[in-house]
Amino acid sequence: MSKMPQSKRFGRAAIATSVAAGLVVSGLMSSSIGTANAAAGPKTGGTLILLEHTPKLDHLDPSRIYTGRDLAFENSFFIRTLVAYNPVPGAAGAGLVADLATNTGVPSNEAKTWKFTLRPGTTFEDGAKITCADVKYGVSRVFAQDIITDGPGYLQQWLDLGKVEYKGPYAKDTAGQAAFDKAVTCSADNRTITFNLNKSVADFNYLGTYGVISPVQAKLDMGDAYDLRPQATGPYKIAENTTNQLKLVRNPKWSKASDSIRTPYPDVVVMKFGLDEQVMDQVFLNDTMFNAVNFDGPLPANKDAFFSDDKFKDRRINTNDPYSRYLAFNIKKMPCLEIRQAMYYARNAKAILDYAGGTFFGGSYSTGSISPLLGLDYTPTKVVGPGSADFDPKGNVVKAQALMDKAKTSCPADYKKATVDGIVIDISQSVTLQDTIPINTAAWARVGLKVTYNIIKSGYYSTVLNPAKQNDLSNSGWGADWANASTVIPELFTLEGGFNLCQNGDDPAYKDFKAAVDVAMKTTDRAKQSDMWKALDVKAMERMWILPTNYGKSQYIWGKGVGGAFFWQPQGTLAWGKLYIK
Amino acid sequence: MINYVLRRLLYAAVILLLVSMAVYAIFQFLPFDPAALTCGKNCRPNLIAANRVRLGFDKPVWEQYWLFLSGIFVGRDYGVGSAAFSCPAPSLGYSFRQNACVTDLIKQALPVTLSLAIGALILWLIVGIGLGILAARFKDSPIDTGSTVFVLIGTSLPTFVTGLLLLIYLTLKNNIIPLNFDGYVSIFDHPSKFFIYFLLPWITLAFAFSAIYTRYTRSAVIEISGEDYIRTALAKGLKPKVVLRKHTLRAALAPLTTLAGLDFAGLLGGAILTETIFDLPGLGRMSLKAVNDFDLPVVLATTLLAAAIVVIMNLIVDLLYAVLDPRVRVG
Repeated sequence: MSKMPQSKRFGRAAIATSVAAGLVVSGLMSSSIGTANAAAGPKTGGTLILLEHTPKLDHLDPSRIYTGRDLAFENSFFIRTLVAYNPVPGAAGAGLVADLATNTGVPSNEAKTWKFTLRPGTTFEDGAKITCADVKYGVSRVFAQDIITDGPGYLQQWLDLGKVEYKGPYAKDTAGQAAFDKAVTCSADNRTITFNLNKSVADFNYLGTYGVISPVQAKLDMGDAYDLRPQATGPYKIAENTTNQLKLVRNPKWSKASDSIRTPYPDVVVMKFGLDEQVMDQVFLNDTMFNAVNFDGPLPANKDAFFSDDKFKDRRINTNDPYSRYLAFNIKKMPCLEIRQAMYYARNAKAILDYAGGTFFGGSYSTGSISPLLGLDYTPTKVVGPGSADFDPKGNVVKAQALMDKAKTSCPADYKKATVDGIVIDISQSVTLQDTIPINTAAWARVGLKVTYNIIKSGYYSTVLNPAKQNDLSNSGWGADWANASTVIPELFTLEGGFNLCQNGDDPAYKDFKAAVDVAMKTTDRAKQSDMWKALDVKAMERMWILPTNYGKSQYIWGKGVGGAFFWQPQGTLAWGKLYIK
Repeated sequence: MINYVLRRLLYAAVILLLVSMAVYAIFQFLPFDPAALTCGKNCRPNLIAANRVRLGFDKPVWEQYWLFLSGIFVGRDYGVGSAAFSCPAPSLGYSFRQNACVTDLIKQALPVTLSLAIGALILWLIVGIGLGILAARFKDSPIDTGSTVFVLIGTSLPTFVTGLLLLIYLTLKNNIIPLNFDGYVSIFDHPSKFFIYFLLPWITLAFAFSAIYTRYTRSAVIEISGEDYIRTALAKGLKPKVVLRKHTLRAALAPLTTLAGLDFAGLLGGAILTETIFDLPGLGRMSLKAVNDFDLPVVLATTLLAAAIVVIMNLIVDLLYAVLDPRVRVG
């Protein structure tokens, strides 16, 4: 799952995989400013500096990385995966290419079995050859969920372990290990790895872009502490990882002949941690560091300075981010459809978007749960947002009031709760979110809806994902893990999904919905599958399992000495590995 | 004297023990589940339960506290099987947010904060006391007026404003002091880089503190100059410079020593804003991150460290008092 982080990070983006999808994306991105500054050719050498606000990255251990930005960074420089996204601009960047493997995976048995053969000549930074056993061991680590935390959980859902609960390689777990050894096998020559799944997963190979399927040498695994110094397999290796900086230098054991994707231009890549955001912006506004890139976006207060000054016209990008933001209704506590719809129609979406910087910086109104960046699987549902019959950005109070009046008789207990007792909304502690409380409260009060907020200071997702602790609505966001809504619809709206905040199992429409999801998951005809996701998105909106709010935007700034910058659509961030020093 | 020091050290140990108990108790009442905080976004009840056992949060509070306390002397072991690891003594716990023993984190951060605090202290004592003496010596003169303006500005501007202004105008816009994001270097390894790295942070902190010290010094010197023994010394024919140095300043510096000791101790606890603006990976920034991340072992350790520094600085100040003021005897 790629839930929206609580900080201003970028998760993995969904992208377009067809011409049609590309058209949708380019249409949406028409407000984007700035593109690649590739007038002069790329150069080798120099030091690329990435300026980062947070005191460190969430993780360096490939098995634990889940945000697109960090994944893109690591994958660009020092961690190779079985397959990877092609680091090129536009929709073509969504294409899978073989990385450590010789191809992008071979499915069989109705996509229940997937094989990847490792290419020769690939090594770890210590010179050890990468083998199937290393990849298998890397995969096994993600099952030690108490130690190897935060990575995507698809392997736990999909590997065919029978009914055994495997606890990973660190615990003494004979039965679990035996089941795992059956689910993931290596060929006799230790070059081909086979994954046996418990169901058909037509796009399993996309999971191969994640570090959860990457090689780790068992003898060098340090459990938790591997996060501080993972072994490199890419063109760079970690030379220094301190509280101040992460420094990457060239990995002499990496062979260009074994890697058709990466173009390691700078000699050294340094990420500076913990910088004040205002200082970071001033560095670029004053052109103090030519070879630097803002790893985060600029501060809201400085966006105008960057985007209204022609000086930055070749050094900025303003683009849609991969997240679809929403409030998830807890259907167990909010079973009345009319009240859920009334909340949607009474909300003042325009005021919220204006607060976020309007359409230029803030994004656009949601038209469903699937982000437009997903391209092929996206289409406006016409149930919510622009294009739908009753959508009014400032709130359709008449429609909302009519729904409330209907709820008064159709679900009186829920009506009383919504108007007298109050609906409780979970949000994480965030200045931005808290600033929007008065706007929403006032909007809902127009139809008599009473809300209170439960501000969760820490452990937001672990709290709201606990059915016992989740309140009536929970603020959230979601970005697809790869270019398929199979990582959106099932994750958000089925009980087996990793991010079902709706608790919609008792909804009258759930059974049919789930059956349709199962069919879509098995469908290998991508066009047909795409139609199914679109239809399911419509269904989810009709049932108002979530209250969709907006699709966001993000901005990037870099120094005048940096070339090659472009937005890497599938990762929802810059293609870090293509940057060079002019 | 030795008995006095030993007694004070014993008291200090008791105080630190009480502080550690208090901090530990406070954490028990916080509405957070420390086990839930260790497994990030994918936390599920079964994982939280497993982590609770792995990290010892399933044990009674007194036992957890005892493990923490004993870890300082004998180190601590965590985890089981091939993922087991240990933090050697003196162990202040393990940060699962940063995947490191807290003692190691403090070892990295302390030299930065120490360098910041010592440099700033020297600077603000020189400027603050020097300007205060001048202002008192030339009372009601333009120098005095100038010092008053300095004091007003220094006490009015918060350090994050001073720091940002210095950084923007001296470094980013005019490149008078080169921008340095290279990180901490020891004074023994690269003296010039060390001074460049710390110059602006020192000035930022010293600007605020020296304003206060200017005012204190001025007041103390003027007040003591009116004392009978000062007049006597002057009447005996001692030169004013000698009187100032040997009698006035000696008396004026005693209370300033207390103040400086406590301010210094406060800075060692972490100058959060200054460290953040100038990207100094010191204790202040570490504490701030720990609080934001609810990294309880780090918060506990930094709180204890800050308390220990305050206690020790108090002891040092008391001993210095005896040196500066012969009327004060310890024992």
